[in-house]
Amino acid sequence: MSTNFFSTVFIFQILLTFIIPSTSAVGSPINIWPKPRSFTWITTPQATLLSPSFTITSPSHPYLTPSVNRYLSQIQTTQYKPLLIPPLNLTTSFPLQTLTITITDITAPLSHGVNESYTLTIPSNTTTATLAAATPWGAMRGLESFSQLVWGNPARVAAGLVITDWPMFEHRGVLLDTSRNYFGVEDLLRLIGAMSANKLNVFHWHITDSQSFPLVLKSEPELAATGSYGPDMQYSAEDVKRVVEFGLEHGVRIIPEIDMPGHTGSWAEAYPEIVACANMFWWPAGAPWEERLAAEPGTGHLNPLIPKTYDVVKNVVKETTTLFPDSFYHGGADEVVPGCWKADPTIQKYLASNGTLSQVLEIFINNTNPYILSLNRTAVYWEDVILDSEIKINPSILPPETTVMQTWNGGPNNTKRLVSAGYRTIVSSSDFYYLDCGHGDFTGNNSAYDQHPDFEQKKGGSWCGPFKSWQLIYNYDITFGLTEEEAKLVLGGEVALWSEQSDSRVLDSRIWPRASAMAEALWSGNRDETGKKRSVDATDRLNEWVNRMVSRGVKAEPIQPLWCIRNPGMCNTYNPIF
Amino acid sequence: MNTHYNFHTLFTFLLTIICYTIPLISAVGSPSPINIWPKPRSFTWTIPHAILISPSFTINSPSHRYLTPAVNRYLRQILTTNYTPLIPPPLNLTTPPLQTLTVNVIDLTAPLSHGVNESYTLTIPSNTTTATLVAATPWAAMRGLESFSQLVWASPVRVAAGLVISDWPMFEHRGVMLDTSRNYYPVEDILRLIGAMSANKLNVFHWHITDSQSFPLVLESEPELARKGSYGSGMVYTGGDVERVVEFGLEHGVRIVPEIDMPGHTGSWAEAYPEIVACANMFWWPAGAPWEDRLASEPGTGHLNPLIPKTYDVVKNVVKETTTLFPDTFYHAGADEIVPGCWKADPTIQKHLANNGTLSQVLEIFINNTSPYILSLNRTTVYWEDVILDAGIKVNPSMLPPETTIMQTWNGGPHNTKRLVSAGYRTIVSSSDYYYLDCGHGDFTGNNSAYDQPPGFDQKKGGSWCGPFKTWQLIYNYDITYGLNETEAKLVLGGEVALWSEQADPTVLDSRIWPRASAMAEALWSGNRDETGVKRSAEATDRLSEWIHRMVSRGVKAEPIQPLWCIRNPGMCNTKNPIF
Repeated sequence: MSTNFFSTVFIFQILLTFIIPSTSAVGSPINIWPKPRSFTWITTPQATLLSPSFTITSPSHPYLTPSVNRYLSQIQTTQYKPLLIPPLNLTTSFPLQTLTITITDITAPLSHGVNESYTLTIPSNTTTATLAAATPWGAMRGLESFSQLVWGNPARVAAGLVITDWPMFEHRGVLLDTSRNYFGVEDLLRLIGAMSANKLNVFHWHITDSQSFPLVLKSEPELAATGSYGPDMQYSAEDVKRVVEFGLEHGVRIIPEIDMPGHTGSWAEAYPEIVACANMFWWPAGAPWEERLAAEPGTGHLNPLIPKTYDVVKNVVKETTTLFPDSFYHGGADEVVPGCWKADPTIQKYLASNGTLSQVLEIFINNTNPYILSLNRTAVYWEDVILDSEIKINPSILPPETTVMQTWNGGPNNTKRLVSAGYRTIVSSSDFYYLDCGHGDFTGNNSAYDQHPDFEQKKGGSWCGPFKSWQLIYNYDITFGLTEEEAKLVLGGEVALWSEQSDSRVLDSRIWPRASAMAEALWSGNRDETGKKRSVDATDRLNEWVNRMVSRGVKAEPIQPLWCIRNPGMCNTYNPIF
Repeated sequence: MNTHYNFHTLFTFLLTIICYTIPLISAVGSPSPINIWPKPRSFTWTIPHAILISPSFTINSPSHRYLTPAVNRYLRQILTTNYTPLIPPPLNLTTPPLQTLTVNVIDLTAPLSHGVNESYTLTIPSNTTTATLVAATPWAAMRGLESFSQLVWASPVRVAAGLVISDWPMFEHRGVMLDTSRNYYPVEDILRLIGAMSANKLNVFHWHITDSQSFPLVLESEPELARKGSYGSGMVYTGGDVERVVEFGLEHGVRIVPEIDMPGHTGSWAEAYPEIVACANMFWWPAGAPWEDRLASEPGTGHLNPLIPKTYDVVKNVVKETTTLFPDTFYHAGADEIVPGCWKADPTIQKHLANNGTLSQVLEIFINNTSPYILSLNRTTVYWEDVILDAGIKVNPSMLPPETTIMQTWNGGPHNTKRLVSAGYRTIVSSSDYYYLDCGHGDFTGNNSAYDQPPGFDQKKGGSWCGPFKTWQLIYNYDITYGLNETEAKLVLGGEVALWSEQADPTVLDSRIWPRASAMAEALWSGNRDETGVKRSAEATDRLSEWIHRMVSRGVKAEPIQPLWCIRNPGMCNTKNPIF
């Protein structure tokens, strides 16, 4: 994955790793989340004070420099109080004066597959630590690791160690839906900051949906003016720029998704003529599920048979790619529902002339995908576009070279179907990675809520229930059942928070620490060196990490009573509990 | 059920007549333009409109140690909140503005205790400058003030007018239980919880203070318990803290019922007194042993040893001082989850068993040595149902007379409620199938091989023993007297939602409790059915969204239940077909 960098720069450290018996991180007195690939104590584990005049020297870079300044101030001011004080003696040598950063390729842009590897060396007998990183983004990962080795007042840092680290998967993301409920920019920034701390590198921003269209576009101002929840619940170009810049300063890519042609009811406020079935009741009383007009309340699909549709869509796509520099663009295309298009007279006519709904979708994709590609973007689609049981296109329309698929149904089976068709794939299995699941349902007047007291509660009224616990997320192997070749096409994964029952108030607790669980599984894996799942050892480490996140202002959920942390091992079980 | 009928007959007779003479545009049927949560029993509104609240608006009220601070609090809230509703009530403004709310209290001396009359009548006329709140007691006046405050919105501030509300609770005991032992909550969190409870007309904070994991209550008579058994000096409740909580409760009409769980759930006592705690600090469930041989129902072992005299020295100090700190007449004595493996691991108890003694006898010895003492302190004892219903270790019910004992049920849904009331006990319902707010968030044990299964396995309850998550709708729709006859139903005092804190702490307190406790609050205050007997959770959805929004405006971080789109498009997020 990062072999060039690796072989040329770090042979020495690698040798060290194999020569010196590793006091490795199982039961390590201090830990980094996600756990590094290689963490070697060169001497007896100890700590050194950080000099009050501690500095970080680093090559100047528009995004790394702010990042360095941020870490410097965090390191100097946090005075983190660990749940368990690391049993590390302070060295007698001078305090640490400097962390020196060297970058192999300072020009590498933040993009998919960028080299994130770094080697961090904190000796115990000199006053200088070194961070050698492949790229500025690799340096940010290393700075985060350094910051997690710091605690106490006066501040001290673990010393006598070498960390060599690089990710297992290149794409490690969080999806947030800002359409069902609105999130302020401050919430997005806090999320991105916490993602960076977890070495997650992609914020998949599901900006728009049928419920609201919060993105303000100069070329199509009416979409947000009439389709957002209100003037105070929009994202201006300035807001987007702030998010993108913040992402760059944290090594987090921002991938925009303007979901289409389904999930576009909110567009109808500005352009009723281009949206089929807008503002209709989503599932007529007594009708079978097959005749629903939308997968959930909030109807509306763009009408692919109306030329005007493409005028609007192209403006939207073009301006969105201008606002978001990332080379990935998410084209949506999930949950195209037959009942919606069937309710539209233009489409009815087309069907009456022996056309099919799949052809209607093909018309849409054929009229939009080349345009997306022309803007130098790799198009990401939800798997539905080729795997839906009813409305789907011929995969030949979407060549694997320019298309990435994102799976959310069918667990590992759909991953297999996508990669065996040759597509690079992002895993967001709703069985494992959907953070909203298991919190009930939002539809009103649901008679299923009211049952005889002895009824089986099943999934608790959540279509994808039960709740996805951090352990479930941690233990999921996203390449399960794939051949080696197929596994290479799995770019990584994204946990997803759909916001029907979330907003600013619950954002932190819904996402953290469960996204941390995926973050480690995709960075360094979920197994120890013997191949065994390491969620046991991860429990204690995650407790400490939750505490550190909370100290940084991220309101992550607790996973255990404090008693468990104070009494290591006593809250384990040797018998399965389910 | 309670004495409100007297009050009702005497003082609202006239209003009742008015209610029946004037055709009702009541809040049921077509949606009311503004609502109160929990929905009042009777809300009569002939011509819905609103009036401004004068900048010099005041509340006249008899002076009362706890009502007066409540009046001052509501006055400030009314004048300063400037609440912006999700959907602005479509109410025309008329003049003159409201100058005064006059509070009349019938029995100013009634103490805050179980069964106190909480009924009130609130009249906001449209043609005079004075509204009136007639309340049976100071605590009822607080309920009425809350209702008034929920009719207020916008800037300049206005209030719904031309209405009469007559209101009283369906159940007398409406509570929230919080466990402050598994994880600690600072006093500020507890106060915020009590404040929000009061806004939901909930009236009992059941404080599960101690457990095996920590003992945060500082007792002068037994200082070592918290000094050694708490999570640390920054994570204790001092006598001053408790007083603050109790006073705050009084100012909000919320009783504080303390629970010092015993004889199980006492591992934390062993830090100070290892000699009185059986099986302390042992691994909770030996590898390979069947569940029956566990030492505790979850990690953190330790049961008080009933066969050691010293046990009662400590217990009596604890009980005595706790009843001094907490004036409420209810005292919760725990007695849940006595696990055979723990007592069996203790040599003293082994000896007793070897002489043909039983574990149930051991528990009886404990209850016989503690229950009379609790009663001697003028307390009604509340026990978890296990004390008489446990499958293994239980006492003979004759030891716990229904006159002085209340049972709290958490297992078996309506079946256990029935067993308790049919044995004559007054019962508080906290069914884990419905009222446990922690359920459905996974599990906290480490090294659980059940977490790691091949993909495609049935996730069942998501690794939560009482999963799935209890949705607000499930809570709202639960009928706590289900399957009981009329006489039995009278013994159901009410219910408590419970937050056990293995996976909760201050970071998630608000969102775990609200709005799900609001769902129970309405079901127990005015019921979950409309006047035709149909469950009203569909209609409640819109009202609850607005109520969440108002709670949030007051600093309580309640969870959203729907996209904003649903609230803006009433009815469009309903379903006419069941979804499960």
